[in-house]
Amino acid sequence: MHHPSSYRDPSGYMFEKDGVLYRQVNLSFRDSFDHFISSGCYDHFVGQGLLIPHETIPGLLTGDARGYATLKPQLIPFITYPWEWTFGMLKDAALLTLQLAREALHYEMMLKDATPYNVQWYRGRLIFIDTLSFERYSETPWIAYRQFCEQFLGPLLLMHYQKLPLQPLQLSWPDGIPLAVISRLLPKRTKFSLHTYLHIHLHARVSGRKGKKQATPHFSKQKLLTLLSSLESLVNKLRLDPQKSTWSEYYEEASGRANYLEDKKAIIAGWLDKIPGLKTGADLGANEGAFARLLSKREIETLAVDFDPFCIDALYKAIKKDNEKKLQPGILDLSNPSPAIGVNNEERMPFLQRVNVDIVLALALVHHLAIGKNIPFEKIADLFHRLGRILVIEFVPKTDEKVQLMLETKPDIYTDYTEDNFVSSFSTYFSIAERQEVEDTGRVLFLMKTKS
Amino acid sequence: MIVSHFLYVDPGSGSYLVQVIIAAVLGIGMFFKNIKLYIKSLFHRSPKKPKNNPPA
Repeated sequence: MHHPSSYRDPSGYMFEKDGVLYRQVNLSFRDSFDHFISSGCYDHFVGQGLLIPHETIPGLLTGDARGYATLKPQLIPFITYPWEWTFGMLKDAALLTLQLAREALHYEMMLKDATPYNVQWYRGRLIFIDTLSFERYSETPWIAYRQFCEQFLGPLLLMHYQKLPLQPLQLSWPDGIPLAVISRLLPKRTKFSLHTYLHIHLHARVSGRKGKKQATPHFSKQKLLTLLSSLESLVNKLRLDPQKSTWSEYYEEASGRANYLEDKKAIIAGWLDKIPGLKTGADLGANEGAFARLLSKREIETLAVDFDPFCIDALYKAIKKDNEKKLQPGILDLSNPSPAIGVNNEERMPFLQRVNVDIVLALALVHHLAIGKNIPFEKIADLFHRLGRILVIEFVPKTDEKVQLMLETKPDIYTDYTEDNFVSSFSTYFSIAERQEVEDTGRVLFLMKTKS
Repeated sequence: MIVSHFLYVDPGSGSYLVQVIIAAVLGIGMFFKNIKLYIKSLFHRSPKKPKNNPPA
């Protein structure tokens, strides 16, 4: 069966057979694929950890007459999309794409597309996953140049100049923000910045013109390298720093409640040690990832998500610095998880279909959903039971200072917000295995298992 | 795992044309930069290395 996101390219496609994901290379792409392998380009990229490794499977599994070879790539634990990535992640994915394009030229090859969907998280870093993106270099301009500008450079420039996390724009334009839109949204002064002017403003003007179809111009390797290095130096200069107030709060809070955090960690660690066979996990509202690491340090493939892009960007930088292999960062608003979009609404899967883990952590989160977003306990329980089979969840009572802080600015219509109601709502989907109070804070941790 | 999201859309001759322009602009920029570096190097010659006298 064809994978729903793999239909655009005639060189091959992804398909699933007996629960395993394969990639077929088509005969039409035979020359480029053989050259990619025999020139040493594949080994060069896999050796540096830039490209996903694959096994070659003998024979064709599809029986498709167009087929040439079958590959079995290493599996990606959690698929994420650019609207779930932080600025730092998108920037690194852009630099990875440019590096691959530049280095492929040494092997007389070139990247024929430049999209974040070809980059995924694998063993602690962003890695290129599309083996069929490399074609023979033919002294022409870069076919993926516009795509690079619309899918990588544009969003990065907008976030850099507006000093805002603008991931939702990528969700609105999943095939890239049109150049004309980027050009209009960027501040006027960017027209005086040489590289931004050339790649965005001039590009938007020239490519917006209607003209006759012309022959592909000759474009030397030197020119292509100049173009790539201009893009690389521009991307390297872009940044999005967190607003100071956001950060100082996190640090303050963490240091003021050290005992509470330590006690909470000890209780959860005790429970985790008693549950065998945990392979995958998700920490919802992960903040800086302190609790997600309780999972990842136990060799559990862990997805740490939070709605705060700056928080997740800091987590991403920490993971990168310490080379943590089992922890994956992502931006997610649990009151509005990423939807299914694209062709037939099948091309990009919704978050709830991509994540189904052994264990879910939902710590100091319920009050944000129930009181902050007015979501009833039943709906929250439904959400969590779809994500995993074991749940570690913290109930924060109404008397808690954080809840009181939230209620200062809104009328208290939350008469149902009690531990009893919480337990009874969650009992629809879960059976409760453990209950323990954290120190003397009034906050309560539960260990729950989905009812089969 | 997802994947291939290829550019089989028309890249537009505009995007080709703009690359030709950009390469020319950046090429001219580099030409003048090299001249500047060359002229600079005429005025700031690196000091000659002192001769190494073999120890007596």
